[in-house]
Amino acid sequence: MSVSPITNSQSTSARHPTRAITSDMLDFQVLRAFAKVKSDDGSDVVIELIDLYLHATAQRIITMRNAANAEEWELLKRTAHTLKGSSSTLGLRQMAKICQDIEASLSSCADVHRLLSLLESKFVEVKPVLIRERNRRRALPP
Amino acid sequence: MNQIQIMFTKPTPSRVLIADDDPVMRHLLTTVVKQQKCEVVMASDGRQAYRILQSDSKFRAAILDINMPFLEGLDVVQYMRSEKRLMKIPIMIITAEENLKLMNDSFSAGATAFLPKPFTPEQLESAILLLLHSQKMTRGAS
Repeated sequence: MSVSPITNSQSTSARHPTRAITSDMLDFQVLRAFAKVKSDDGSDVVIELIDLYLHATAQRIITMRNAANAEEWELLKRTAHTLKGSSSTLGLRQMAKICQDIEASLSSCADVHRLLSLLESKFVEVKPVLIRERNRRRALPP
Repeated sequence: MNQIQIMFTKPTPSRVLIADDDPVMRHLLTTVVKQQKCEVVMASDGRQAYRILQSDSKFRAAILDINMPFLEGLDVVQYMRSEKRLMKIPIMIITAEENLKLMNDSFSAGATAFLPKPFTPEQLESAILLLLHSQKMTRGAS
């Protein structure tokens, strides 16, 4: 669930209606909504967001694995937190949920390694879906 | 001969500081801010944002992620509110946490708006409009 922006001068928060679940892995409705955001050069923002997500996530998973091996829990937690944010915003709910679980389970080393493996395999599943969507958008007429 | 001198004062540029360690979020925020005809100055962590603000105060608004390496978003907010030349700049805090305490802490530190992830494009656009509008209100009131 997401909330409307809350200002310092406003005490009320308008709740956004719950989004229809189209896919647990990737909610296309959420991702495609970003097509409404128009870039100044007319490029497709969704394609750019997918590219950035794929690149950043691959790097972040490596960072998290290295951090877990070196027992750098703060780095691991911060990286999981960041990945949770971009995953949830783009509609990648399962990725976001695993990141949330990693954040919550830092007291148990075994759990962290298991969840990281789960995150890696989920990213392997999600990657081709995102690439297909990116390629589909690239093929669309301007 | 009498000479008439006309002084042209440079208008305050519509520049927005965006600090986020996530390239997906930076791109999304930048695109939406540019839609509002604002120039973007980017920082990829809190320390970089702090260094920019040490020598540059000509910002119409600042958008800060709360969870950043080296220096947290709230530390940057506190710094901005303690400096006379920065204290009127409206600040929006973005976070992957939907946490009431964090929201209260952000407002206590001096944030103007608080936007938890995930957010829709509409929520992001209205939050940014609100942020830019709050500067106008501040200027009009002063």
